[in-house]
Amino acid sequence: MKEIQDFLVGRIWLRDFTPFPEEAIEKAINQGFIAVQKGITEKLECARCLENSSEKIIPYNCAKCERICYYCRHCIRMGRVSSCTDLITWKEPLELSPYSHSFSWNGELTNLQQQASDELDESLRRNRSHLVYAVCGAGKTELLFPPLHKALSEGKRICIAAPRTDVVLELSPRLKAAFPDTVMHTLYGGAIFEEGFAQLVVATTHQLYRFQQAFDLVIVDEADAYPYSYDLALARAVTKSLKENAPIVYVSATPSKEMLKTAVNQSKIFRRFHGHPLPVPEYRSLWNYRKSFNTNKIPEKLKDWVKLRLEKNEPFMLFFPTIEMIRQAEPLFKLIDSRIEAVHSKDEDRKEKVMKLRRGEIPGVLTSSILERGVTIANVQVGIVGADEAVFEAAALIQMAGRAGRSSAFPNGEVIFFHNGISRQMDDARNLIKFYNQEGQR
Amino acid sequence: MNCYLCEGVLDLKPSWRDLFFMDREETVCLNCSATFEKLIQGCKICSASGPGICEECTHWETTEFRGTIDYGQCLYVYNDAMKDYFHQFKFLQDVVLAEVFAEELVKAVRKTKAAAVPIPMNPVKLRERTFAQVDSILEAGGADYVHLLQKNEEVQGEKNKGERISTRGLFTLNGNSVPKNIVLVDDMYTTGTTLRLAAKILKEAGAETVAFVALIRA
Repeated sequence: MKEIQDFLVGRIWLRDFTPFPEEAIEKAINQGFIAVQKGITEKLECARCLENSSEKIIPYNCAKCERICYYCRHCIRMGRVSSCTDLITWKEPLELSPYSHSFSWNGELTNLQQQASDELDESLRRNRSHLVYAVCGAGKTELLFPPLHKALSEGKRICIAAPRTDVVLELSPRLKAAFPDTVMHTLYGGAIFEEGFAQLVVATTHQLYRFQQAFDLVIVDEADAYPYSYDLALARAVTKSLKENAPIVYVSATPSKEMLKTAVNQSKIFRRFHGHPLPVPEYRSLWNYRKSFNTNKIPEKLKDWVKLRLEKNEPFMLFFPTIEMIRQAEPLFKLIDSRIEAVHSKDEDRKEKVMKLRRGEIPGVLTSSILERGVTIANVQVGIVGADEAVFEAAALIQMAGRAGRSSAFPNGEVIFFHNGISRQMDDARNLIKFYNQEGQR
Repeated sequence: MNCYLCEGVLDLKPSWRDLFFMDREETVCLNCSATFEKLIQGCKICSASGPGICEECTHWETTEFRGTIDYGQCLYVYNDAMKDYFHQFKFLQDVVLAEVFAEELVKAVRKTKAAAVPIPMNPVKLRERTFAQVDSILEAGGADYVHLLQKNEEVQGEKNKGERISTRGLFTLNGNSVPKNIVLVDDMYTTGTTLRLAAKILKEAGAETVAFVALIRA
């Protein structure tokens, strides 16, 4: 029974897909430990992901029930929830007794990091939500460590949610190293099952659908990133996973205007941990680049830029607005240097290719915005092809520019906006970066 | 309206037909539909590429199943995109995906001018899956169909090729009267055993021609 409790506390799970035998689950139900509810409620809402639009809650002729049932398309990849599937929850919450968790991080925070860390600590002491607004490379994760340690030691259950598996996989080992004795689970689509009760959970935001009143604190990393800003369901998932009145900490380098307006408690860090200013993007015209790629030619200025990187032996990331354009460009760039690789969201070897770039085994990557955040490569030079295209909002441009100059050994780096006309978003991004630098150097 | 497969916004090209008939309902975007690969009519029975009747079907004609299937058509290649589609439809049980190929499949079925008869699922499996994928596609395409067969308890997917070909007694008649011209409908043609077992019983029960349409040639 203990194993079932450890697994199920704070979760909402498909009855037919637990890691336990059906008889054991049934016994726990009969003994009153587990509550059972219908997957789709009377009001036609998915009880797991809280989706309720008629485009996603679909009626069908159910052969099992021999009547019309409904299923949820929104969270279907986590196993289909329908009106005739049962979701189970553990009834009693688990009280954790406080004890001092081991904390083996011995880095040092800069003054600005320390200040933000203290402000966050104060917010958590008062159970208030908080926004950490810090530029790319400010050292956001590190400043979370001391308040996290305190909260864990007080017996709080904590989740750190990030928008993408890539970011989760990057965070997880750093947290494990800082809190070596804390039971931590790393959850994402395709993750291996980990036993026991985890006081610390690192997960993609989607995984929060599977939690309910579980956490005393949720930290939403990259809070502005796709898909949060577009997906209200994910915002609801964060709220659902929290215990009553528990606070949320948002962490972002590019918070939306709404977020800045609504977050009462904020800490701002407009300076990188190494103290150098952010590289300011340079505009470079690249007229009719689409036509060029359509006729299998790399525009001259772009070719020159890449050749210079190869000559100087500097790794580069070249961002493209669409996967199609990457596919067009890939063979052309391989003619310049066959080691150049292309990366996009549907590429399963993405992690491996980024590692190769980091180790210097390949000179550069052509990429979609999938690598706009969570990636640190020493001395990387950044080019954005079609920076004026509508897919590149100011936040995305700032994140991509934020890949350059992150290491203290190479605090400078080129960021080029290759464009076919200057967009408002390009100007917004550049002005904001200049503003951060101005504020950060005060 | 978003694409059923990639969730991207459906960017529909306006056409004169839309203006007059308003009858088109796209369910997947152009990018996604471009990933599926249509079969160009090859073998007259199973659509395998090449002229005339393919080797496998020629071999079938030397067995007791000679002449059980008069002609047939498979519509799509079982490529990666189709594998993903099939997984989401059949195993993730995303019932709406029946709409994606419904129009095309029903068009092929109607061309035969015969009575559509879906290959049935066994009842246990059907309750587990909660829907019959072939029936759902036909319904989504607005086609009439009639069940003439019932399937016994064996599950095809769990057997190897040799075992599958030797399978006997997979189907029995369900008692409905058997029309003269029949088109069997299935989601996937793999070895052709299932369809031939079904066709044989129907021919023995008085059907004069038995054709088939399958969505995928695996």
